[in-house]
Amino acid sequence: MGGTDAKDILGLPKTPLSLTQEKKSRPQKESHRKPDGISREVYALTGGVAPLMPSIDVTQLKRRPPADEKVVWQWLPFTNSARKDDLQLYHWVRVVNGVPPTGDYSFAKYNKSVDILKYTDDEYENHLTDPVWTKEETDQLFGLCERFDLRFTIIADRFPLSRTVEELKDRYYSVTRALLRARAQSPADVANHPLMKEPYDLTRDKERKRALSMVLSQSRHQEKKDAEILAEAKRITEMRLAARRAEETDVSANENMGVDRADGVVPGRSVSPSSNSQLPATAVAPSTLTMADYASTLASLRMLHVYLRTYGLEQMVQAASSAVGLRTIKRVEQTLQDLGVNLKPKVPTKTVCDEHLELRKEILTLLNLQKQLQYKESEGSSQQREGSYAAAMPDTPKDRVFATDPFSFGAERPIIKKEQKRKGPGRQSDTPSPAHKRPRKMKASDL
Amino acid sequence: MYGGDEVSAIVVDMGSHTCKAGYAGEDAPKAVFPSVVGAIDGMDIDDDANTNSNTEDAKTNAVESDKEKGKRKLFVGSQALNFRRDQMEILSPIKDGIVADWDMVDNVWEHAFRNCLMIDPKEHPMLLAEPPLNTQQQREKAAELMFEKYKVPALFMAKNPVLTSFASGRATSLVVDCGGGSTTIAPVHDGYVLQKAVVSSPIGGDFLTDCLLKSLESKGIKIKPRYSFKRKEIRPGEFQVTDVDAPDTTESYKLFCQRMIVSDVKDSICRVPDTPYDEKSYSNIPMTSYELPDGQTLEIGSDRFKVPDVMFNPSIVQTIPGMENYTDMLPSVRGLSNMVIESISKCDVDIRRELYSSILLAGGTSSMQQLKERLEKDLVEESPQSARVKVLASGNTTERRFSVWIGGSILASLGSFQQMWFSKSEYEEHGASYIQRKCP
Repeated sequence: MGGTDAKDILGLPKTPLSLTQEKKSRPQKESHRKPDGISREVYALTGGVAPLMPSIDVTQLKRRPPADEKVVWQWLPFTNSARKDDLQLYHWVRVVNGVPPTGDYSFAKYNKSVDILKYTDDEYENHLTDPVWTKEETDQLFGLCERFDLRFTIIADRFPLSRTVEELKDRYYSVTRALLRARAQSPADVANHPLMKEPYDLTRDKERKRALSMVLSQSRHQEKKDAEILAEAKRITEMRLAARRAEETDVSANENMGVDRADGVVPGRSVSPSSNSQLPATAVAPSTLTMADYASTLASLRMLHVYLRTYGLEQMVQAASSAVGLRTIKRVEQTLQDLGVNLKPKVPTKTVCDEHLELRKEILTLLNLQKQLQYKESEGSSQQREGSYAAAMPDTPKDRVFATDPFSFGAERPIIKKEQKRKGPGRQSDTPSPAHKRPRKMKASDL
Repeated sequence: MYGGDEVSAIVVDMGSHTCKAGYAGEDAPKAVFPSVVGAIDGMDIDDDANTNSNTEDAKTNAVESDKEKGKRKLFVGSQALNFRRDQMEILSPIKDGIVADWDMVDNVWEHAFRNCLMIDPKEHPMLLAEPPLNTQQQREKAAELMFEKYKVPALFMAKNPVLTSFASGRATSLVVDCGGGSTTIAPVHDGYVLQKAVVSSPIGGDFLTDCLLKSLESKGIKIKPRYSFKRKEIRPGEFQVTDVDAPDTTESYKLFCQRMIVSDVKDSICRVPDTPYDEKSYSNIPMTSYELPDGQTLEIGSDRFKVPDVMFNPSIVQTIPGMENYTDMLPSVRGLSNMVIESISKCDVDIRRELYSSILLAGGTSSMQQLKERLEKDLVEESPQSARVKVLASGNTTERRFSVWIGGSILASLGSFQQMWFSKSEYEEHGASYIQRKCP
């Protein structure tokens, strides 16, 4: 209805229904006719369809009072059952046909209060004595509890002696519990009372308040200063770590890849520097690099909130291999194919993807180390590294390195360590696993 | 009104600067007048050997109609006060927030009921607003006066911060009441004032007016009270001012008139500075002009910002010439933001966060420009990180001035409040001390 009105105003043609369809729509129109009581335009504002839940009873809107009733408003006194005395105040009352309304004051039902147990002197003597609290104090406390409906903050404020809120609560709840226990026929009766089931614990409350007050005690000014100091301290420790790492890098390898990075890149987490600092620099350098990239891609992926795991994996792979050249990437992929691993895992569950990524990283590390090795050999220092490279081995490239090279044995250790660490979580269909097992067996026998 | 039931109660809020009275259920009080009285001491006509300065012959009619000799004639209300009378002293019934002279208070109430509102107190329950640290004795005296003299059917005494809190629809808040005589900061929790955490300072609107007056006088500007000159328009646009001699005017009346003028200057020109005031940065500020009633034009520069900053930094008072007699009270007085922090720290830890996020501004002085922003800024710096600071003030300056009265109007017209009145029969049965129980 509203739609056609709008179209009229704008001068647009109405919906191009054919005549037959218009005839069909007419029987429907009967049920859409506006209800009585409100005008057509107002009804159209609701969308022309009756609401699911009736919000206003439409018939009430234009109802006029029945003509036979005579309504007068009078200024009459009233009584209030919530009052203990007989004060009569006046208010306007709707009087119908000379008969004023009967019944209690309509607001008297809001007079609710909390049930506080009252004890007699005997009960006090028998059950409720306490070294810290005298009878007068306890009486005062209970009087205030009654007046203020157990609002302990205000009770503490008005209590004549200075006691903390927790002490007052503790005394009130322990007295009430003792009374309940004493008055009950059997312990089972009161076991379900909320006060018995969850007793008030004074020490825990005190602890909680202490913690809260510590949180709230520092002003923003101080917190800013604290944050600055902490950031400064972190920066200093990381600079020191980086300096140490830089020394070690200079000592052993001359692979540039990691050196610059090790100074500048600091992963956000404090775990990585401490764990990496145990390892020699050469292995550390690439891994810090990858860890850093890993962290940054993780951050960028988290921004997306929802993403396909394969997409995520691609990103990680790209991040991991971003610093190396195209040839190295090709070699990594070649190695993967040699090992029989798909370039993209067929079943990209979380474990599989993680393992895949690990494998790629390790292959990268392997290739780096190989390059380093070649470089050192080309410097022509040692006769130990002879000829095993020349022979084409049917085994995996990793086997070659592990078997023949005792010099970089130390460097391999972290990789092995990583493998061993990785074995912890469940590994299902990982094809690289047999390959890795072999080198370790050889290791044991070598030793 | 939802939850409301009109019983035609009267709400009276007697502040240190103005007294407000009106019907409950309305938006604003009908009767607003200064809560000072003019007093002329009447003397027996034969006896004039008294050396006391304010006991000379008074005007004829008023004294002769008085049967009792030596009774004071009090004048209440802005109309009466604005007319200059010989030997009229201006006295305030309220000192340091509590009532010192009940006779004057009686007169003020009488004026409010009979002249302004024109009601018979016998027919209307009364709601009185009282300061948060009112003593038991004061309350009993007020109850006695109300029941014995005015014979009200029912009475209730509510604390100012609670009423302000209700006026903004909250049961828990921290109320910063910047009134005429003093500034009081009181936390309200669940409709009750936490009395141990109330902080108060004597720096109020009147104090700031005095600072400005002394500062202007020290610059050589004479503020002429309105009665002391006549201004005639001799030619269109041109005025001639002639001085009127009024030798019998008392010093206090002159001061009262001067203060009226200066407080208007303060209201229209003064602004709270965004950062604490210091002489150098505000020395080159452009001057704003204000025309006094006698035609003089005032040029005010740095005083615009200096005077309001006294609220935040009371030690500035020492730099204002003429205010040295206040320096001895300074060590105990702190700035506004410090008082707020102090008040909140005295409260229980659990409610502090809620108090921080609902700080209400009330009172005439709180409508000074930029006060809310400055307070918020200061508090955000000093408050803890995890607490969100929010200072609330109604945009309408009338509402800020009368927020206590408006809260009383709301309270007295609620249906569920009608059970809480302290009625005459209860007074007769239990005595005036029962008010402590009835009005928490």
